[in-house]
Amino acid sequence: MRLLPYVQLFAAAALALATVSCKTNPKDEFAGVDGDFVSGVPLPSRQDGAAFMGGNVAKGQFPPVQFGYDSFEVSPSELSKVQAVAEAMKGSRSDMIIAGFTDERGTEEYNRGLGERRALAVREVLISQGVSGGRVQTVSFGEEMPIDSGGGEAAWAANRRAEFGVIR
Amino acid sequence: MVALAGAVAPVLAQDTATITVRKGDRVSLALASLGGVSGPAVTKVLQNDLDLAGWFQLVPAAQASYTVGGTAGGGSLQGKVTDGAGSVVLSKTYTGDDRSMAHEFADDVVETLTGNKGIATTKIAFVGTGSGAKEIYLADYDGDNSRRLTSDRSISVAPSLGPGARNLAYTGYQGGYPDVYVIDVATGARNRVINAPGTNSGAAVSPDGGRMALTMSKDGNPEIYVTGLRGGGAKRLTRTSGVESSPTWSPDGGELIYSSDDGGSPQLYRISAGGGSPRQIPTGQGYCTDPSWSPDGKKVAFTVRSGGGFSVAVMDVAGGAARIVASGQNPVWGRGGRHLIFSSGSSLNLLDVPTGRTTTIVSGLGKVSEPTWSF
Repeated sequence: MRLLPYVQLFAAAALALATVSCKTNPKDEFAGVDGDFVSGVPLPSRQDGAAFMGGNVAKGQFPPVQFGYDSFEVSPSELSKVQAVAEAMKGSRSDMIIAGFTDERGTEEYNRGLGERRALAVREVLISQGVSGGRVQTVSFGEEMPIDSGGGEAAWAANRRAEFGVIR
Repeated sequence: MVALAGAVAPVLAQDTATITVRKGDRVSLALASLGGVSGPAVTKVLQNDLDLAGWFQLVPAAQASYTVGGTAGGGSLQGKVTDGAGSVVLSKTYTGDDRSMAHEFADDVVETLTGNKGIATTKIAFVGTGSGAKEIYLADYDGDNSRRLTSDRSISVAPSLGPGARNLAYTGYQGGYPDVYVIDVATGARNRVINAPGTNSGAAVSPDGGRMALTMSKDGNPEIYVTGLRGGGAKRLTRTSGVESSPTWSPDGGELIYSSDDGGSPQLYRISAGGGSPRQIPTGQGYCTDPSWSPDGKKVAFTVRSGGGFSVAVMDVAGGAARIVASGQNPVWGRGGRHLIFSSGSSLNLLDVPTGRTTTIVSGLGKVSEPTWSF
């Protein structure tokens, strides 16, 4: 099991925050349908018109979080990147979309899931740092849109990432 | 190639040595050129269908247990199969275009002589990049008649054909997020049926066409859910901290096999479609994704990582050793449980599993991947 211990600890607190901060699109029919979420904080409803690749999301304000092969663990060396984002979010009203990506190896659908899990892992760290889960949406592009399409270890390492998009 | 050589070679015995199955495993069949205006066109399609079917050894009439023939023209085909004594074992009239009539006759020949369902009338769909973006294509099982179903210029992936290829579910990014769309193949009507928060992907239409199984992350982790074909009534099946993906239905719709990396690397699990405890299927392989449950319920094909590359593996669902059958990925079973279609870069390939014979069926559409095959 790769259960991240803080997830459960912060789930209840984050839920409370999510409820408080719910604003533009208060349809919560998706969240916690079954009432039990073992390993994550339910995602908020999408904000109308806000898409990671759209013009209303600012990308590149924060450096991407990199991952090891076939891993969704936020490594200690990458943690400070997420902590910086958490601090920025606590001083801002802007919400965030985290997009997860993989390298080109492996099957496409598994990589979509892995990319989503990477985005969610970063989101869990933000939540553990005190950011409301209700402010953070996720999306996976799997192996699409690589940073470096050249192939080889260096390119693959660059492509295994989670990017931050600030909703304007 | 074996069958073609057998049909023209004067000495048959030399050709049988190139076949990896015993001669007795296959039914010897002669194809007499069909008469009528459409005879040559139908004969050509029929020959390819009976060859790819795998069940037959195409031989000259003198050595054949059965002879396939008939006449075709004016939008109809009178097909006939006779045995060695000249008795008619199949006689049937078909109407339609040349290709579809030939396909229907071929499947009837397979069913009459072997008792198995044929693949000639089935459809495939897949992802191709030929237009510059990932779009969904639909084609006959042999790759002919291919046409592009989507023109989203976005990312359109993970197609799943419903029974009879009447509808197709796929993952589309045109709304900015991966959402599940269902296309009515006959009318082209399309509806977005699942747009929950996060990522919604990999919908597999159930054998009865009424449900979908897919990955959704709305509750905070990528998990397997079952929904109605219109996306309603989502029921969560898995609860882990890992990545669950690529559910595939048992033929009776009662169970699913999917891939989960909750144990550290992606492995195969099976679970009741109504919920319950998942059970791991031990494969002996370190990376197992993209399972496809065979139509007879007995086998599962999947992608494994071996060395630096990826291979197609087959094993019994009940247990046993996984057998590597091809280099490539994304295997999917065809009706009858004899063939797989899988991807390898710029081509889709039809694999006759018992003989190991591989035939390229799709190429020239860019990078092609994620085939789905209708029953």
